Amino acid sequence: MVDRPLEYDYTIAKLFMMNAIFVGIVGMFVGVLIAWQMAYPGLNTFLGEGLAEYTNFSRLRVLHTDSVIYGFVLSSVWSTWYFVGQRVLKVSMAESKTLMMIGYLHFWIYFAASAVIVVSLLMGITTSKEYAEFEWPLDLGITVIWLLWGASIAGLVGMRREKTLYVSIWYYVATFLAVAMLHLFNNLEVPTYFLSGGIGAWYHSVSMYSGTNDALVQWWFGHNAVAFVLTTPIVAIIYYFLPKESGQAIYSYKLSLLSFWGLMFVYLWAGGHHVLYSTVPDWVQTMGSIFSIVLILPSWGSAINMLLTMKGEWQQVASSPIIKFMILGSTFYMFSTLEGPIQAIKSVNAIAHFTDWIVGHVHDGALGWVGFTIVAAIYHMAPRFFKREIYSKSLMATQFWIQTLGIVLYFTSMWIAGITQGMMWRAHDEYGNLAYSFIDTVTVLHPYFTLRAVGGTLYLIGFIMFAYNIYKTTSAREIDESELQNASPMGA
Amino acid sequence: MNKIYLWGVIITVLMLVVTYYTLVITAGDSGKDLSEILSGDIVNLLTVLAAMALVVITVFVVIKYVRQMQVDTADGELVDDSWDDIGEFRNPVPQGWAVIFLATMVWAAWYFTIGYPVNSYSQIGEYNEDTKVLNDKFTKDFADKMQEFSEEEKTEYMINMGESVFLSECKVCHGLSADGIDGKSADLNVWGSAKAIVDTINNGAKGLNYPMGDMPDRNGIMNANKDYAPITDLEIEIVSSYVANGMKGEGSDVFAGACSSCHGLDGKGMGGMSPNLASYGTAEFTVDVLNRGKKGFIGSMPAFNRLNATQKQAVGAYITSLTK
Amino acid sequence: MFHWLEKNPFAFALGVFITIAFAGLVEIVPNFAESARPLVGTTPYSTLELAGRHVYINNSCNACHSQLIRPFKSETDRYGHYSLSGEYAFDRPFLWGSKRTGPDLLRVGNYRTTDWHEHHMKDPAGVVPGSIMPAYKWMYKNETDIDTAYAEQLTVASFFKTPYTFTKDIGTENARMIPMKDGSTTYIEMGDTLEDAKRLALAEAKLIVADMKDEDVKDAVSKGKIPEIVAIIAYMNSLK
Ligand code: HEC
Ligand code: HEC
Ligand code: HEC
Ligand code: HEM
Ligand code: HEM
Ligand SMILES: [Ca+2]
Ligand SMILES: [Ca+2]
Ligand SMILES: [Cu+2]
Repeated sequence: MVDRPLEYDYTIAKLFMMNAIFVGIVGMFVGVLIAWQMAYPGLNTFLGEGLAEYTNFSRLRVLHTDSVIYGFVLSSVWSTWYFVGQRVLKVSMAESKTLMMIGYLHFWIYFAASAVIVVSLLMGITTSKEYAEFEWPLDLGITVIWLLWGASIAGLVGMRREKTLYVSIWYYVATFLAVAMLHLFNNLEVPTYFLSGGIGAWYHSVSMYSGTNDALVQWWFGHNAVAFVLTTPIVAIIYYFLPKESGQAIYSYKLSLLSFWGLMFVYLWAGGHHVLYSTVPDWVQTMGSIFSIVLILPSWGSAINMLLTMKGEWQQVASSPIIKFMILGSTFYMFSTLEGPIQAIKSVNAIAHFTDWIVGHVHDGALGWVGFTIVAAIYHMAPRFFKREIYSKSLMATQFWIQTLGIVLYFTSMWIAGITQGMMWRAHDEYGNLAYSFIDTVTVLHPYFTLRAVGGTLYLIGFIMFAYNIYKTTSAREIDESELQNASPMGA
Repeated sequence: MNKIYLWGVIITVLMLVVTYYTLVITAGDSGKDLSEILSGDIVNLLTVLAAMALVVITVFVVIKYVRQMQVDTADGELVDDSWDDIGEFRNPVPQGWAVIFLATMVWAAWYFTIGYPVNSYSQIGEYNEDTKVLNDKFTKDFADKMQEFSEEEKTEYMINMGESVFLSECKVCHGLSADGIDGKSADLNVWGSAKAIVDTINNGAKGLNYPMGDMPDRNGIMNANKDYAPITDLEIEIVSSYVANGMKGEGSDVFAGACSSCHGLDGKGMGGMSPNLASYGTAEFTVDVLNRGKKGFIGSMPAFNRLNATQKQAVGAYITSLTK
Repeated sequence: MFHWLEKNPFAFALGVFITIAFAGLVEIVPNFAESARPLVGTTPYSTLELAGRHVYINNSCNACHSQLIRPFKSETDRYGHYSLSGEYAFDRPFLWGSKRTGPDLLRVGNYRTTDWHEHHMKDPAGVVPGSIMPAYKWMYKNETDIDTAYAEQLTVASFFKTPYTFTKDIGTENARMIPMKDGSTTYIEMGDTLEDAKRLALAEAKLIVADMKDEDVKDAVSKGKIPEIVAIIAYMNSLK
């Protein structure tokens, strides 16, 4: 053991943080744009007819989902990894040239691949599989990036001075393993250029699976990609930043343990809830529904552990915006992990599937849980990166309320839109005919699409305030190391 | 009252109102009342109940923990490790959580092994049952109504049903007011009238797939009674009114001369060689169109085999009512 | 036990991996072969249809349109017979979608026609007032990538034994005959060479533009070029 505090090296963490904020703004801006396009389709040509091919809803939607998930969220996860990893394992990146090298490679290859992905999606190069739209050359790139992260994990863990792995590390490791497996199997595809003797687009491929099988593999992937990109790494984050920022000990090790292994075991079985009433075998669907219900408990376990960690600490919740973000984040985590199982009940899914209620569920999780937890983590890291206090606490508080209002508007409007549309599709009139033509069920949604767009715009405004606050933090009042124990220092 | 309870109440009430509102929109102007929407379809009922449960449970549980943040204190025995100064208590797991977790696992195991073992449920079986129930209900309702209704009420009923079918199936091509959306398809407000027949004779007709093939435009229609002179404007006017009038009144001579070679003297289409003009503009003619589809000069319409006989008849009645 | 795992990263990782790995096997493997079998009467896509399918994918139509009819009366009334697994046997990738901002398209070929699509894709709201679907005007100009479609046909024919028949094999024993519902058999022709494939696609395109109005599109096809709109209509019409 060393007796003086280690000098952690945050270079890579900082790079990923900057990228996260930048891509966050871009990805959410595109989200806001497509939200307005659904309310006002004229916006599909907002840069003129000539560019409509690149600015219409259908091209931009994938850009939104992939940039927020793989740009904003993954960058944030990696930023925290290069911060938390060093600290809870008690090793500094500076101790190993190789690890620094891996870190740089990890970031820059990722950065380059992201740029290629943006361009290729705008050009319409996609395999259509949700959240796995990339063609094989990019799949290979992603594999390399993933292996580099794996090397970083293996390196830091291998060199660790802290014998026992902290909960956050469990979740990072699980994220790494699961996504590796999912990515590999969902992307088994045959490049057509080589098998046809050099005809057509060189990057084109055809899926290894067809029809129902393809769907089953894709949603085994899709569901667990949600689990292991939008859930487990975020749990890893909150398990570090909430106790750290508040100075409280984790409420219960046993609860951490049972939640973790419960989640690992149950999650993988629940993917069937994305293909209910489809042509996959009935028993697989049933399995998806059943395990979704069981899944509530291990999910809530982590959230409850977080809430109980703050037991007796209400004054901290009331006074610290950072803690507010994490407590409300945990609440949204509970909300979406109860909403999901409810939507996974076959009869409810009969209405919910294909509608905006699912989109509402997605954003309860994405904006409330993922977004808020990441924002809190970055607010905690920034003073440590720059050795300065956070520029403005009141700006943080304002951001918190604006974004919260944004989420409330988002999910109430999508709740109305989704359930209404689902019921209208099913409605028969007194003559036994369908009561509504399809277009009736579209025009009725206009007010809710508008409301959602307003909510999304508020969330984006809050996020831009966040970016500004972090930017100003780089030149805010300097502080000394000793002020950095728990609660992050904030300027007025 | 503690602020947190107030928030809980606000959120619960908000979501209840919002959910109630979805029922109101769904009912729309279809004249249903809300309880009917819930009782008519078990899926609606379950969804609304589940949505309520989601809000109430989340609010209730979160408030419980927030209360603990407000009044309880953190304590317990710490584990030996600490990571970057983060400690961990050895507290037991919350009992309620553990019990429910265990219960759901037992329930899942029961479900798979005893409750509904692997192949005991078929969604297609369920579909067949549901569809039969719905169909039987409507067939019976319809038969009952036809029994008790007067002729006039029957017609009105059919027209209303037809309008409903039209609005869900046909309006994407023929437009909300059935005007054909600027010539993209047939203007059904005119179709069936003398004016439409004038158009047909001037431009010809095609696409119904009769053995006779297409009907030529006016240049191809000669009046046999006038030594095969091309049909004149006046004759067109007369014969069109004649056909639109159900083959009555002035014009039978022009019809015999110009049209009967294809449509037969009685206009009935010579046993299926060409359309039966005696039924032109009536529901029967529409049903024929729906069975055949129509490839026209301004677009094409598919056959509508997915409508059942009653629905076709009804939509025919509706369209006839537009011109009459 | 767990505490031991937490001190031994390799064993820990192995434990996690085993826990997460077998769910996929149990759910996917048992019905795999059965689900891959085509239904009688299901045929692979022709070159032009496949090219149209690529246009559909490149423009992410699946972001708004499903191709999965669930077994509810309300859906079969609206879209036709519920989906059957074997109908999708030649779909690589599957295109069920997960959001129905627009209607299901699995059987749109039964109730929408070439000229309707022609108007609709150019100006959806002009045809269906209130539509929020984007207009796809560039499809009337961009040329279809037949090469990639043909490359894909060759690939699936050799790699997955998808039943395509080379022009030269028609009528020989190498023809891959496909059973139809009425007891007859049919074959789906695929060019011997890229040039052949293009010729076949063009012939198919000509049948489609015969029903179209757009002079520029008609003109392009008569000059041997196939605008994307023609391909996507071929694909839409094939959905039955
Ligand atoms: C050469 C044969 C021929 C002659 C002569 C002819 N018709 Fe027709 N007519 C047809 C055929 C064939 C159709 C069905 C066309 C189609 O497929 O839509 C038809 C369709 C019609 C229709 C139905 C159009 C619709 O809305 O679908 C009307 C009305 C009609 N004919 C009236 C007349 C009248 C009045 C005359 C005489 C002035 C006449 N036809 C002369 C062959 C003929
Ligand atoms: C895909 C578009 C489309 C749909 C959907 C559609 N139609 Fe049509 N319809 C047309 C076109 C195009 C024509 C022919 C116009 C012409 O005369 O060239 C037509 C013609 C007609 C005619 C006149 C036929 C004749 O012989 O002149 C009737 C009657 C009609 N439609 C009724 C209906 C009804 C009832 C429905 C719904 C159940 C319906 N249509 C749905 C496109 C459509
Ligand atoms: C923003 C969402 C959106 C996108 C993207 C979209 N559509 Fe649509 N689509 C709709 C809506 C809403 C409707 C219903 C209103 C209408 O008919 O225009 C529709 C209707 C249709 C219909 C008519 C189906 C029917 O039963 O009436 C077809 C065909 C269609 N779209 C094809 C496409 C194709 C092909 C693409 C991609 C190139 C596409 N759509 C992209 C929203 C979309
Ligand atoms: C217990 C936990 C959860 C369960 C059981 C669950 C269940 C579901 C269900 C049933 C669907 C809808 C499938 C459909 O009908 O289309 C869905 C969609 C989705 N959920 Fe969850 N959910 C859970 C938690 C979460 C969380 C925490 C997030 C984080 C953001 C999330 C993100 C998503 C996303 C992105 C989709 C959309 C997938 C698509 O594109 O179709 N879910 N979930
Ligand atoms: C400013 C905030 C945002 C707005 C306005 C917004 C808006 C949208 C819109 C309009 C859609 C398309 C919905 C549809 O097709 O009906 C969408 C989809 C999606 N968004 Fe966002 N979004 C925002 C932020 C985010 C964030 C931060 C994430 C993830 C971390 C996210 C993840 C997703 C996902 C996964 C989908 C696909 C959902 C599905 O297919 O079911 N979004 N978003
Ligand atoms: Ca891929
Ligand atoms: Ca989706
Ligand atoms: Cu899922």
